[in-house]
Amino acid sequence: MPKLNRSEWYDLTRDMNWTFRYVEEEQVFPEALSNGRGIPAEEWWRWDEPYKISYREYVHNQSEKDESAYSINAAIGRSNHFENLDAGWKSGIVAHYGAIAIPEYLASIGESRMGRFGRAAAWRNMATYGTLDEMRHGQIQTYFPHTLLDKEARMDWAHKAFHTNEWGAIAARSLFDDMFTANDAVSMALQLTFTFETGFTNLQFLGMAADAMKVGDVDFGALISSIQTDEARHAQQGEPTLRILLANGQKEEAQRLIDHMFWRAWHLFALLTGLSMDYYTPLEHRSHSFKEFMNEFIVKQFMEQFRDFGMDLPWYWEQFLEEMDWYHHALHLGVWFWRPTVWWNPDAGMSVEERDWLEEKYPGWNDTFGKWWDVITENVRSGNVDRTLPETFPMVCNMCHIPVCTPAGHVTGHFASPAPLLVDYEGRRYTFCSEPCKWVFESDPKRFAGHKSLIDRFLGGEVQPPTVEGALRYMGLSPAECGTDADDYAWAFPGGAAGEIRRAV
Amino acid sequence: MSITPRARRATKTWSKSGQVRRKPSPYEITGSQFHYHFRREPAPFELSPDTPINEWYLKHREGSPLQIEDWETFRDPDKLNYRSYVSLQHQRETVMDGIVDEYERRDHDATLGADWAATLTVAFAPARFAIHALQMAALYLGQVGPSAFITNAAHFQAGDEMRRIQWLAYRCKSLSLAGTPELVSSTLARNTWENDERWQPARKLLEELLIAYDWGEAFAALNLTVKPVLDIVLNEELALVAEANGDGLLASMQREHAHDSERSQRWSKALVATAVAGADGNRDHLQKWVDQWSSAAYDAADGLRSLLADAPVAPQPALLGRSDIVGRHEAFLASCELGR
Repeated sequence: MPKLNRSEWYDLTRDMNWTFRYVEEEQVFPEALSNGRGIPAEEWWRWDEPYKISYREYVHNQSEKDESAYSINAAIGRSNHFENLDAGWKSGIVAHYGAIAIPEYLASIGESRMGRFGRAAAWRNMATYGTLDEMRHGQIQTYFPHTLLDKEARMDWAHKAFHTNEWGAIAARSLFDDMFTANDAVSMALQLTFTFETGFTNLQFLGMAADAMKVGDVDFGALISSIQTDEARHAQQGEPTLRILLANGQKEEAQRLIDHMFWRAWHLFALLTGLSMDYYTPLEHRSHSFKEFMNEFIVKQFMEQFRDFGMDLPWYWEQFLEEMDWYHHALHLGVWFWRPTVWWNPDAGMSVEERDWLEEKYPGWNDTFGKWWDVITENVRSGNVDRTLPETFPMVCNMCHIPVCTPAGHVTGHFASPAPLLVDYEGRRYTFCSEPCKWVFESDPKRFAGHKSLIDRFLGGEVQPPTVEGALRYMGLSPAECGTDADDYAWAFPGGAAGEIRRAV
Repeated sequence: MSITPRARRATKTWSKSGQVRRKPSPYEITGSQFHYHFRREPAPFELSPDTPINEWYLKHREGSPLQIEDWETFRDPDKLNYRSYVSLQHQRETVMDGIVDEYERRDHDATLGADWAATLTVAFAPARFAIHALQMAALYLGQVGPSAFITNAAHFQAGDEMRRIQWLAYRCKSLSLAGTPELVSSTLARNTWENDERWQPARKLLEELLIAYDWGEAFAALNLTVKPVLDIVLNEELALVAEANGDGLLASMQREHAHDSERSQRWSKALVATAVAGADGNRDHLQKWVDQWSSAAYDAADGLRSLLADAPVAPQPALLGRSDIVGRHEAFLASCELGR
């Protein structure tokens, strides 16, 4: 092993900043790709990452990690492990791959944007590792589901989802493009690495890994734990960037960037992780509720992080805490009802025991969401499954692109009115699900105003024929791909009468 | 409404990758059709179509003169995905570890003279600024590449440049301990890079390379011109001079880096072949960019060679002259079926 430690030579690879003579600095760091907020170059050169690694260590470690993760996958692929997993859990995995695999790959483009347009050599080096890391995550999370294609055709959506205009894919693409693929390097450091990777990826990757191990899904558990060990490294680009913004009078701007992305990430992960944890994971294997995971990985972590940097909690913090009690329950109800519009099979998760668990974890659930599920359950039991399927579409929010759930917020006592929020801007009307989504839009309307939501496209005649079937086709869902109840409605028939009654259905 | 689920037939690969006769390789599974945003309507990214970054991609990627119908047809001849890249480089770094161990065991640095260290202070330590610019340019090429197979190859190239910089730093530090602290003075290195006349052609070339934003030009300038020309000096010529001056360790290190440079040239050559086969005008576009960048690249190489010429012992055979560098570059271009 070479005699010098990394710490003895590494600084030379950080001291590579210079003043441009033959071109202008603004040409090298154009605002669209590197919005430096007017902070002088020399200030950016103070950028100091807390975590350092050499290329040599990187390839030695990473090749070992990959060999380990891929050999588990190969060993499990030879077994009937996947077939034996719970149907609801599999739905969560199918949803995860579709919403996460290609975005992770896109994050490698985000990282290479910071690797090129980050304003200090030390930062660009860190982002170069990030570029490679995210390529790893995109590739390993497509390779694994590809090995399952012969067992579960829906795994195709790990690759296909982002090619489509399925509504969840639009919501995910809108979030991730805003956060990194179509973001400038400086904003990205705060929005991707500081806001998203230090909190929300822990939620999805550590939280879901804990559940995966309980469920016995060693393949998925080992995969996402291995991924999280990389996140911890490149996530640290946020802190030094934030320090420089704060030291140069940009606290307000930094706060805006973080508040903007925290809210957007919360909404998408309520959809993705909230449903998986509280409804799709088999009851006996749930380690914590989604809210408990949120409190552990997001609320506590962010409050500490914000305090450490002298930042304020986002202005909507109270609303955020309240939404943890109802928002993902509303989404679950909607996703299950509109199940043909998603690429996975939503698991109602409505057995008596599961409902008791929901009431315990979310007191008052029975009196609100429980009542709606009573109606659905009754319809299923009496053979009226058609009444539990959609004839039209809900409005979606022009920011998060998730269906507007304000009526549920109203019924659960959190909103004064069930009506969505409306904004008229340059002759067009925009619909929002919440004050923070509306605020994000109004903070930078030009970034969002030219975009059309799925419902804008539907009402504007871009979706033909303008029927549910036409929309499903527009969303890339063939009849075989449309989601259906994960348990084939068994949950509605305690005591096992399901088969008989369902045949009658 | 009612939905009748029916089983979908299991497929060999992703539905978006089209019909395949055989099960695709891991390289193809983890790269094929990943750039769904290329030529996407109404804009690459899910924001206002006229947001500046959408316009940037529409102008510099979709709007580049270098286009073919389907960039997905390009394949890196080395077929590297992340897993095989880190595995390959783990092996190469094990080789590098072995090289360094062997020389350190022999207390190699004690045998080198102060005048050789003085040459390296001026000719080698500041090269990290130049190689860092190559790293930045490769990352730009990666983020605007029109297929994941192109993006990934460029991103690996950026990793390779970082590797080269880190061993440069290692070498400067280890040799400095033998009595040349100037080798690790960042102030001195930056001052040399910014003010030494012999470095200026390279600095000008690389600063201008950083703002070559059209993706086709970024590729032609970096991978067909600037990098292959500078790598002749930074790897091969430096190795020859190091050897002549008794620094077998540096010579071996630079020859190890030459493996990475050759890999860059292999995928560049394959990308030229894909581009030229894909549309009539592409050969002319590439040639025009190569012509635009070549002379400045040769000037930069001249500057670097003049720094090496100050080494205490001149190598035998002598350093390449400008015409030799031009000849080497033209031979590379000819292997890409470009050039006159």
